[in-house]
Amino acid sequence: MENLDKLKKEALQLIEKAKSLPSLKELEVKFLGRKGQLTTLLRDLKNLPENKRKRAGQDLNILKTELENTFSKKEKTLEKTDMEANLSKEFFDTTYPGAERQTGAIHILSQTQKEVEDIFSQMGFMIVDGPEIESEYYNFEGLNIPADHPARDMQDTFFIEGKPDRKQGRLVLRTHTSPNQVRAMEKYGAPLRMIVPGRVFRNEATDARHEHTFHQVEGMLIDKEISIATLKGIMKEFLSRLFGKEVEVRFRPGYFPFVEPGMELDFSCLLCNGKGCRVCKKTGWVEFMGAGMTHEHVLRAGGVDPKKYQGWAFGFGLERLVMMRYGINDIRYFQGGDLRFINQFK
Amino acid sequence: MYVSLEWLKQFTSIPKGIKPEELASTLTLKTAEVEGFSEGSELLDGVVVGQVKELHPHPNADKLRIAMVSIGSSQPNAKVVCGGDNLEEGMLIAYAEPGCKVKWHGEGEPVVLEKVKIRGEESAGMICASEEIGLEKPKSEGPESILDLSAMKPKPGTPIAELLKLDDTVFEFDNKSLTHRPDLWGHYGIAREVSAIYKTPFKQLNPKPKLPTKGDKLKVDIHSYDLCPRYCGVVIKNITIQDSPEWIKKRLKAVGHQTYNNIVDVTNYISSELGQPLHAFDRNLIKKGIVVRTATKGEKIKAIDEKTYKLTEEMLLIADHENPIAIAGVMGGHESGINPDTTEIIIESANFNGANVRRTATTLGLRTESVQRFEKQLDPELAHLAMLRAIELILEVSPGATVAGPITDNHAPKKKPRTIELDPARTASKIGIQIDKAQIKEILTGLQFKVTPGTKNTLKVEVPSFRAQKDVSTEDDLIEEVARIYGYDKIEPVLPSLPTKLPEENPERTVKHDLRKFLSYGLNFNEIQSYSFYSKDDLENCSLDEETHVKIENYLSEDQTHMRTTLVPNLLKTIHSNTKNHPEFKLYEIGRTYKDIGEFFPLEEKWVCGAIHNTDKNKFYQAKGAAEAILRYLKIPFYKLIPSCEIPYAHPNESITIMAPTGETLGMIFTLHPQTAKNFSLQSNPTLFELNFSALINLAKKGRSFKDLPKFPGTLLDISVLVDKTIEIGTLKNAIEKADKSLIKSVELFDLYEGDNIAADKKSVAFKITLQAEDRTLKDEDMKRIQEQIFSNLQKLGGKIRGL
Repeated sequence: MENLDKLKKEALQLIEKAKSLPSLKELEVKFLGRKGQLTTLLRDLKNLPENKRKRAGQDLNILKTELENTFSKKEKTLEKTDMEANLSKEFFDTTYPGAERQTGAIHILSQTQKEVEDIFSQMGFMIVDGPEIESEYYNFEGLNIPADHPARDMQDTFFIEGKPDRKQGRLVLRTHTSPNQVRAMEKYGAPLRMIVPGRVFRNEATDARHEHTFHQVEGMLIDKEISIATLKGIMKEFLSRLFGKEVEVRFRPGYFPFVEPGMELDFSCLLCNGKGCRVCKKTGWVEFMGAGMTHEHVLRAGGVDPKKYQGWAFGFGLERLVMMRYGINDIRYFQGGDLRFINQFK
Repeated sequence: MYVSLEWLKQFTSIPKGIKPEELASTLTLKTAEVEGFSEGSELLDGVVVGQVKELHPHPNADKLRIAMVSIGSSQPNAKVVCGGDNLEEGMLIAYAEPGCKVKWHGEGEPVVLEKVKIRGEESAGMICASEEIGLEKPKSEGPESILDLSAMKPKPGTPIAELLKLDDTVFEFDNKSLTHRPDLWGHYGIAREVSAIYKTPFKQLNPKPKLPTKGDKLKVDIHSYDLCPRYCGVVIKNITIQDSPEWIKKRLKAVGHQTYNNIVDVTNYISSELGQPLHAFDRNLIKKGIVVRTATKGEKIKAIDEKTYKLTEEMLLIADHENPIAIAGVMGGHESGINPDTTEIIIESANFNGANVRRTATTLGLRTESVQRFEKQLDPELAHLAMLRAIELILEVSPGATVAGPITDNHAPKKKPRTIELDPARTASKIGIQIDKAQIKEILTGLQFKVTPGTKNTLKVEVPSFRAQKDVSTEDDLIEEVARIYGYDKIEPVLPSLPTKLPEENPERTVKHDLRKFLSYGLNFNEIQSYSFYSKDDLENCSLDEETHVKIENYLSEDQTHMRTTLVPNLLKTIHSNTKNHPEFKLYEIGRTYKDIGEFFPLEEKWVCGAIHNTDKNKFYQAKGAAEAILRYLKIPFYKLIPSCEIPYAHPNESITIMAPTGETLGMIFTLHPQTAKNFSLQSNPTLFELNFSALINLAKKGRSFKDLPKFPGTLLDISVLVDKTIEIGTLKNAIEKADKSLIKSVELFDLYEGDNIAADKKSVAFKITLQAEDRTLKDEDMKRIQEQIFSNLQKLGGKIRGL
């Protein structure tokens, strides 16, 4: 079987040296083809004496398998080399522009409102809605703002044509989201944790800083041990999350008939971190919202016993927040529908 | 409201070292918002009167001279290089020494003066022109001249601020933040707060003018104590109308008042000092005594603004026995006012019903300083104090004046002071911080409440009359007093410990936010917002009926009179305004509509309205596709699309109504009516959809289910048919589906052709049909049978199968 060793050596050498797939194919025919050297040897087995045939057959088959494996391995190597050679010749322009996939924009007020809703939801506040055409009762009386109250001056009201109702008074476009304090207490009772984002209206001339149509977010928390300190805590948490950085809040006395004590809340200027700059008029603080401990008249109007429950409410303007955040200088853009504005907030 | 620091100091002291900005910020944090303050001028700091002792030419400059300036000593104190062309030896000038701030040529930010060399000569400080120290340049002062003070003959060294009486600091309070505090509408009240905050003594006013016990006593007749709880009046004789003394003028000017004459100025002075408006009448123009009554029907009065006001029967008047002489608490009458010949006056210091004053003022459109104060409901006690103070001042400013008789003081029965129990535990619970009883007591006492021990652990708090009107009436009101003076800034933020509880869901909100994402990011629409109202023209341009509209009574402008019943008109206006910047776009709005449905509250519904503006001939189907995608997204399981719709601004042919199985209209898809497009100046007709979001949200299918994937292969069948143009795709589709309802899984239109090579009244339509059985592989016979049935159904419609 010296021949066999020679054959193996020769074959392996030739395979090793093969440079291309066609020449490898030729070799495969030469050794393993129908008339190939190994095939011929296998075919000639039957001529061997029986005592040698078995052994020789085994050897031949082992060699055949070995050669087959070697061919297949070499084939893969050569294929890979070929592909690499081909790819290296190809040209492809990756700088050609990507296929245009346009998307629309969501109004920045909607986006911000959702952010606000999400943060409060996570703190267990429910999101409540109420009518935009509201009665004087809910808009004023229920909130401890009787007729002739000077506070009605602060809220230039749009009145709806029509006759007043005995209990409800006249219809107005709600001047704030606060009517929902009483509505929500009537509906859900206490304890209560809710916010009401929504559209409000003031009968005042528009300019870059004033709109007759804008949005507020009302908030209310009624429970047993709810204090000014917790209002400070919740608002600090909310604003810090919203702005993505630690924000400080402070209170000043403020007057809203539906809260007592009544406060204004400022937060530390985001630009200068409270050091004082142009944006905050050198005070270090930015005026943000009105708030306070819910007035006992309002609790009673909502059917909640002020001896058992106490809580607070707040209300802030969404437009002001968005304007401050993005440096928008004219409030009229929000309802103006100009796509050059809308599209900046994709 | 303006408050002068110097005036405040008359009633309390301010601890040393408290600068105006700190006082302003402390008052803002504890009392009411101080919007700003103006100090005489920062630029006058350190600027004093100087005298030019010697004047020499500058060796290196023609226009400059060297002045030796003295600020008090006989020897010159400073050598100053100066270019002032009016400079003379002996002149008294404004001298700013190094370290002072000045504005170069009156422009830009102030700069700090330093010792410098000017053209080689040392110069210490500056001889100032008016504008360089923030003063208005008088006409007499030339452009290259400096301020010449010689005429005033001041002593060198006198601060300029003092000389020009600009040394006061004036704070401006935000009136809105004083809405609930009638006691803060004068210096006296603000001083009381300052004294409580800084724990400095409060100097109570205690005017004690000499009053006769007998004599000419004014007759006052009050018809209703409800409308006029108190009226104090007095007659003063031998009055000389003349200019007020400088100190009164200075204070009035500082707080923004004009000055007129000694008597009118005193009434304004007291209004600003105590917050009690006064009125002075010329006694000789008053017939007999004073009557406080409501107006009779049709009664008129000419007020001091020389306008005549028609009064209603609710309005309170001050009258004599013949005519009205003032609108109570609002404005005095023209005929009875102080004039240069006045020698005898009546001083009125009264208390009126705030709501009534406010109503009258609102009806007449008169918002005076007097109204601002009275409408807050002033303290009746203040009327008497103000009267005494007025007499005291008038006797001072009109030498020789004499009080004619005792003060007339008619008032409603006095109320007992209000007392409130304050529970320190409740105070702690509401504020969220422990403040001990002694400290609570100290704070309230500082604010002039009387505090005594109450029952159990509480405090009994007596409210002073100046806080007892509408201001402090409950325990919470006292808690506010404690909290603000204690300091809101000392309250640490705390998160409430509340049980973990999922908030009640608001699916409408959630879906609305999701839908926005779908519309904007999925369907490439842009969200806009628009006003809730439109004009009569708008609704007419949309051919809408006015009837169901909710109307605004006091609208701001003619184009905002009706509440919208559809989002379309405002969306069309938005389309129009965007066309000049964008050739094509897709818009939507999610917003409310408002309809009068005959009940007290109008019906408010939320609608989704979308519009497609482009030149694509398929844009109706783009709108239809978008609307159907939304319905699918909202999981609306059953609805019908009915051709045509009832809205007047929709194209009569190119429109669809989306209907619920109940027959309720869920929405519309349409091309805008060409007339409406024309009315809104739109060049091309946009296509739109309107979906009733409020209705749809209730129809949404809850939950989802899974259907196993088909186990047996399906077969595709392409069929092309030539039919009359007027046969609808829907009809053809139905005809195909009818062929085998169980095995035909889908029918898709994939080609529609009209034009060359086919008859003008025909169209060629091609469908891709999927056949599939759930329980077996389809055989050739199945396919053949269905295909023949389809052919036959289509042929019944006059169709010619192509390729057959």
